[in-house]
Formats: sequence, structure tokens, C-alpha cells
Amino acid sequence: MQKHTVDVPGAEEFASRPKSRRDFFKTLAAAGAGAAGGSLLLSRTASAQDSSASASASASASASASASASGDVDIANFALTLEYLEAEFYGLALDAGVLSGDALAVVENLFDHETQHVDAIIGLLEGAGATPVAKPEFVFPPDSLASQAGVLELANVLEPTGVGAYLGAGPLIQSPDILAAAGSIEGVEGEHVVAVRNLLGIVPPADEAFPAALTMDEVLAAVAPFIMGGMMETGGEGYRDRNSFGRV
Amino acid sequence: MSEVESRGLIGFDQETSRRNFLKTAAWTGAALSAMGIGGFGVAVNRADAQAAPYTTYEGLGDVAILQFAYQLELLEADFYAIGVESGLFADTFLTQVAAIRDHEIAHAEALAATIADLGGEVPATPEFTYPDGVFTDVVAFLELAATFEPVGIGAYQGAAPALESKDILAVALSIHNTECQHRAAINILNLVVPPNDVAFEEALPIADVQAAVEPFGITG
Repeated sequence: MQKHTVDVPGAEEFASRPKSRRDFFKTLAAAGAGAAGGSLLLSRTASAQDSSASASASASASASASASASGDVDIANFALTLEYLEAEFYGLALDAGVLSGDALAVVENLFDHETQHVDAIIGLLEGAGATPVAKPEFVFPPDSLASQAGVLELANVLEPTGVGAYLGAGPLIQSPDILAAAGSIEGVEGEHVVAVRNLLGIVPPADEAFPAALTMDEVLAAVAPFIMGGMMETGGEGYRDRNSFGRV
Repeated sequence: MSEVESRGLIGFDQETSRRNFLKTAAWTGAALSAMGIGGFGVAVNRADAQAAPYTTYEGLGDVAILQFAYQLELLEADFYAIGVESGLFADTFLTQVAAIRDHEIAHAEALAATIADLGGEVPATPEFTYPDGVFTDVVAFLELAATFEPVGIGAYQGAAPALESKDILAVALSIHNTECQHRAAINILNLVVPPNDVAFEEALPIADVQAAVEPFGITG
């Protein structure tokens, strides 16, 4: 076996990732403050920060079951938003009638998979007694829906973002059952990356030994352009209410 | 390569996809049941539900899980390294198979380093054995590759929730994603259209993984 120099991600790269839920939401807050498009996430963060600011030190320090639950709910809702985004884009791409051949077959499955992910995550949340976030209003650059190449280029942005989001969030998930469900989706997003790269003629389509986890702010920066600021208009208050997880 | 289609690979993948979905639905049901009773993360009696695969990795400890994963990576690395040298592949096919080989080698080395960091013993490289003809017939090679990758996927996905260290979990998930990317890449080499043919990946109980790799020489 030949010798390779390996960058072991466990050592430094991942150490720099946000590891605790506290860091996760600090990152979220920082990202939300800078991303106008991230208002749905910002609204959630704002209320989380308010409550933690007013909470006693002992309360915020206790790793209670309800805190774990709300953390997993937050993560699941964030993932749901990403899945909504992907599903809507691929649905519009199919409706646009610009796809044919292998690309059409791939995108049909992308749409089908993301729709199934949406349904699965909604099922998980509702089963937990939590309310799934409403689908935001999305907006896509006209070029991304005007040609097959445009569709594939945006897909090649969305899919790696989905991979990075799941890889970043995975270690923050408390429930092993939720983590198991997330793992079954995380890998599929990786397959999507490969399928899209192949259509773009990128050789080799599978080219990552250690796909990178993304922090919340990195995910937000990637998806903010597609999430309309209308989040607040279309139910910002309701969103906040629904995402209080019974704490109101 | 119409023989690929006539050999039923595409049909097999569709069947796999359907099974994955049903299994995932079962796990999801278990999770739903758990959450409905006690909220997220609360242990519940799952007597009515089939045990989730990760429960079969619980109690092994991170080192033992990594030692097992390390041997899986050695097997894959060895298999793809021989494939690269076999002369079966050229051009874009060779580029992809060589990349997969490099990934598996990188995974093995990362796992070995982590095992050593944890004070564990890095397992010796097993004597691997393969079915006759897999390195002289491109279809046989790719068919075997198409069975290896889901085993690796299922192992990492099954083990992930049982890992105690969140840092190791982060690495395991990243490797898991790469194994899934490999599955799609092998589908591409097998001319499966579309290559992204499952909506949910399938976790495997450890006994299923052990049974799958035992014929190739992994007995630990």
C-alpha cells in the first residue's frame, strides 16, 4: 500500500468547528445579525438569546432534558428549511422544462428525495410534539432556472451546503434516534453532490476523502440569497410563537 | 455496457432503495414513538419496535468501533488499489477508481492515528481474499464495488450514534458521507441512471457488517 500524507480532520479542523450547542447558537446569532436573508433563523436566535440572557446561570448551565430536546428541535427545523429550499428549487427546475436525458432523471430523483426528507423531518418534529417551521418564501436567480446548466450550477451549490450542514449539525444532536435519521439523509446529500458533479462533467465526480462540516454562519451565508426577507411578513411573529417550544 | 442493465443492477438498486426507505421508516417510527413518550433523547422501551442498528454498536467503545472500521477501510483500500493496478480501467474510470482508493487509504490512516491517540492497538492488516475473476473482469469488479460501498455506509451510519466522542463522531460522519459519494460514483461507473437512487441511506447492525466482510478475510 502506498504511503499518503493525510490531513486528519479530527485533530485541528474539526476542533475549530462549533462543538457545543452554546457555540452553535452563538454562531447562529452572529450569522443572523449579518445575513438579512436569514431572518427566519435570526428570529429564532433572538428569542433564544433573550431567554438565555434573562435566565439564571444555573438554569442555563443545566443540561436538562428539555434543553436537549429544544436543541434537537432547532437543528431539525434548520435542516427542514434547507430541505424545503432544495425541494422547491428542484420542483421549479422540473417545471421549467429545461432538463432532458440523464439530467432530467437525476433532478427528478433530487426532487423526490428532498421531498421525502421534508416529509420525514416534519414527521419527526410532529412526533416530538414540536411544530415544524413553515416553508419560507424562496427566490432563485432567473439564470438558475433558464437552462439545464443553470439548474446544475445552483444544484452544485445547494448540495454541498446540505452536506456541510448535516456534518456540522450531526455531532450536536442529542438523541441517537434523531442522529440516526440525520445520518440516513446526510449521506444522500453526498450522493447528490456526486450525481450533479458528474452531469457537470467534473472528473472524478467523487473527489472528497473528508467532506467538510460547515458552521451555521457558513450555511446561512450560502442560503441567505435564496430566502426572501419576507419571512417576517409571512408570519414572522407566528414563527416566533411556534418556535417557542412551549416556553411561552 | 448493456450487460450491466441485463444483469439487473438497476433493478437491484431500485429494490435496495425501496428497502432502505421502509427500514428508515421503521427507525423513524421508533424515534417517533420515543419522542412521543418522553421527548427527544429520552430512553424508552422499544419492545414493539425493531431495535435500531446503532444499538448493536452500543457498549463496544470508540476504540473497538474504530478498530473495526479501520479493517473495513483496509479492505476497501486494498481492493481498489488492486483494481487500479489491474489494467481494467482507463481515463475517467481510472481517475475515479484511483480517487476512491486514495480516499480509503486516507480513511485508514486517519483511523489508525486516532486509534493510536486513544491508546488502542492498531489492528494488523488481514490477509484479504477475493472472488475469482474480480480483477480481470470490469463488470465483476464494479459489481463487487457496488456491494462493498453500502457495507461501509451501513457500518458508519450504524455506529455513529453509538460513538461516545463527538470529535470522533464528526470524523465518522464525514467518512460516512464519502462512502455514500463512492456508492454514487460506482453507480456512475455501472451506468446506473440516475446514480442518486436512494432517498435514505441504510444503517446496518454490526452482525450484518461482520457477515458481509468475513468472506474477504476480516474476522475481527
